Amino acid sequence: MTGRALTRRTVLRTLGAGAAATAFMPWLSDEGLAAFAHIQAAKAPPRPRVLSVPQYATVEALVEAIIPADERSPGAREARVADYVDLLLSEAEDAVKQEWLDGLTALDVDATRRFGAPFVRLDPGQLDALLADLSRSERTAQKSPLEAFFAMTKQATVQGYYTSEIGIHKELRYKGNQLLAEFTGCQTQDGKDCPYCGQKAEGR
Amino acid sequence: MMAADPTLDLDLAAVTDESRRLASSIKPGSGPWDVIIVGSGAAGGMAAYQLATAGVKVLMLEAGRMLDYPKEYRTMEWPYQSMRRSRLPPDHRPIAVAEYSFLDRPYGNNPVFDKYRKITSYAGNSFTRNWVVNEKEHPTTGTPYSWVRARVLGGKTNFWGRGALRYGPLQFKAASRDGYDVDWPIAYEDVAPYYDKVDVLLGCSGTKEGLVQVPDGVFQRPTKLNCVEVAFQRAIAKMGRHYIPGRAGVTTEGVLNKYRARCLGRGRCGRGCDISAAFHSPTALVFPARDTGHLSVRPYSVVSEVILDGTTGRAAGVRVIDANTREVMEFKARVVVLGAGTLDTTRILLNSKSSRHPEGLGNSSGRLGCHLSEHAMGPRGSGFIPVRIGTEPTLDDGRPITPYVPRFRNVTDRHPDFIRGYHFQGGGGCYEYPGLAHDLPGYGKAFKSSVRKYYPAMISLGGFGEVLPRRENRVMLDSEVKDAWGIPVLRFDYRFGDNELKMAKDMADTVEEMLAAAGAESIKVERELLPPGWSIHEIGTARMGDDPKQSVTDKFCRLHDVDNVYLADASPFVSGGTQNTTWSILAMCWRTMDHLKEQLRSGEL
Repeated sequence: MTGRALTRRTVLRTLGAGAAATAFMPWLSDEGLAAFAHIQAAKAPPRPRVLSVPQYATVEALVEAIIPADERSPGAREARVADYVDLLLSEAEDAVKQEWLDGLTALDVDATRRFGAPFVRLDPGQLDALLADLSRSERTAQKSPLEAFFAMTKQATVQGYYTSEIGIHKELRYKGNQLLAEFTGCQTQDGKDCPYCGQKAEGR
Repeated sequence: MMAADPTLDLDLAAVTDESRRLASSIKPGSGPWDVIIVGSGAAGGMAAYQLATAGVKVLMLEAGRMLDYPKEYRTMEWPYQSMRRSRLPPDHRPIAVAEYSFLDRPYGNNPVFDKYRKITSYAGNSFTRNWVVNEKEHPTTGTPYSWVRARVLGGKTNFWGRGALRYGPLQFKAASRDGYDVDWPIAYEDVAPYYDKVDVLLGCSGTKEGLVQVPDGVFQRPTKLNCVEVAFQRAIAKMGRHYIPGRAGVTTEGVLNKYRARCLGRGRCGRGCDISAAFHSPTALVFPARDTGHLSVRPYSVVSEVILDGTTGRAAGVRVIDANTREVMEFKARVVVLGAGTLDTTRILLNSKSSRHPEGLGNSSGRLGCHLSEHAMGPRGSGFIPVRIGTEPTLDDGRPITPYVPRFRNVTDRHPDFIRGYHFQGGGGCYEYPGLAHDLPGYGKAFKSSVRKYYPAMISLGGFGEVLPRRENRVMLDSEVKDAWGIPVLRFDYRFGDNELKMAKDMADTVEEMLAAAGAESIKVERELLPPGWSIHEIGTARMGDDPKQSVTDKFCRLHDVDNVYLADASPFVSGGTQNTTWSILAMCWRTMDHLKEQLRSGEL
């Protein structure tokens, strides 16, 4: 993320596209184009606004531990959720920002106390033991600061991941936002047994 | 004005230039006009369409700018195309969980709503931010009320929820059934032909059900239910309750209008439908009206009051503050039609004070501003329907509206705890954003696969309950606070009463009961009411009636006190049932305009 506003022209130039691309994207706003350019460049090295390089690495490891890559789709790391968190932090109130940075510190303190290594260097077994403890109180009101930090990070991870291109298309395989002749819905309404839910047709 | 993130803003220079040019080209002497219409939303749009197509010369005054709808309706944009994933920068104070996936500033600047600020939701978005008024420029005082106002051509119809439901006999004659308050001075039969005409002109998707609580209309192809909804429908049918395809103000088969096309099932109508399959006032009414050559639209025209002709005692026109130049001017016509939205119409009347009308125009009864009503919202429930747990996602949201549970309380029976009723709206299946993920416990591969497992199975329904019209629920002019144009703001004195609280409890109980009947897993029920105003269905502050001592307008929405001022929005409505308001505004406005045209033709006006 460059933090610099891109104009339509510079974006098109960056993409190496001309008038044909403009005609292809009639509904895309300037904002959309700017973000599109950013997505194209998503393999570029991160340029965090708030987080330091080690803090960014910790966030990246934590969000990937919450939503990891698996056989179906890449995880939060590849979806650049850490960049999203950094962007949110760059606009958050100071108190919220501080809460996050303190949380990252506390996470490393906890990891070092228990396993003698900072969070990013934990092995999978250690990571699992630590997160199992942090998530135990997830659904209760009483939380330690570190547990609260975990809960906050998880909500942001969910938000960042499932609004990403990877989250929507590869993981959820969301099929909407398409041009349809007609929405069909459950097949039982057309007098058939539905292959999607197994419900049987029934006369109204 | 909104420079926090330049990449979030659209380049609106062309449309603001057009707006300035239009505003400066239409001056008080540019007429003559037969009728001035204040507002360009459902009410103003329909009024203009009816009059202009009948050859009446009309001046429409819109407080905001014109609309570049192909650019501003960002229908198919993906969340990842915006850096913030459609959320707003923090100084825009979005809250979450609003009903239209729209929730920008209007809620945010009141401390009462602060608790919603931190709720994280994908719904805090950038799509509607350029249309909704800034609360800092348009504050309110008194009790909290989340009053959503859109100052732009088309008003709130640009992002409305598309619920196109009729009031029926249970609404028009509610008092005769339960003894509370008064009936409307008109019956369903008076308005039914106008609902039919609105259905045909604008397009309404739905199914004939033969239910007295939501009378049938002239419907186009209905939307279908997805798998979890069919399961829910079958389960509650056994309880004698209905779950019907939502009725949407959307053309699914096409209408005779060159600005509109039929629905293409993208399911993102709340951002503005860029092919205008969904009804939006600009493309459905204002542009066709303008094409007749009889309508002039003047944007940036903030109306402060109706001015009187000292000799005749009739309205002479309106006073306008140009939102750009701040110039104050007076526009004159034979008739004034107010369609600024229930509460702003009321504010204009209250602010139209003269020696003849010291408490505001049309307020000899003292009733102007009273009987504010809307819908109580908040109680809702969700769960996972077993037939779709663990299945592959399907396309479940390619339609303009979710299904609908029509009112079942106090229809044939009598509930011991409360009068009137409520309905539920909502559906399920695979939506773009899996909100359920925020509630599932855990982390790692197990968490990720549980989101996947439950994603197609989610169902969620929310209630809309009638708020009883009560005289003490009212708005008045604040004696000190003024808006950015120097016009006194509204002071609210509005609270939910005992009937609403008891009804809300029953809503939560019945949604839980229905989800349980459908065998839903992980049922979650919200019982608290959302803040007043959340429904955006405000009605009633200039109610109609036969007795000028008890009401503000006659049964044709004309002020009892001044016979050339008509109200085109929901301000004259006596009670609102549970139905979403827009379709009734359109039908009632058409009826009112037929009356006005007859008065113009016969020379009465």
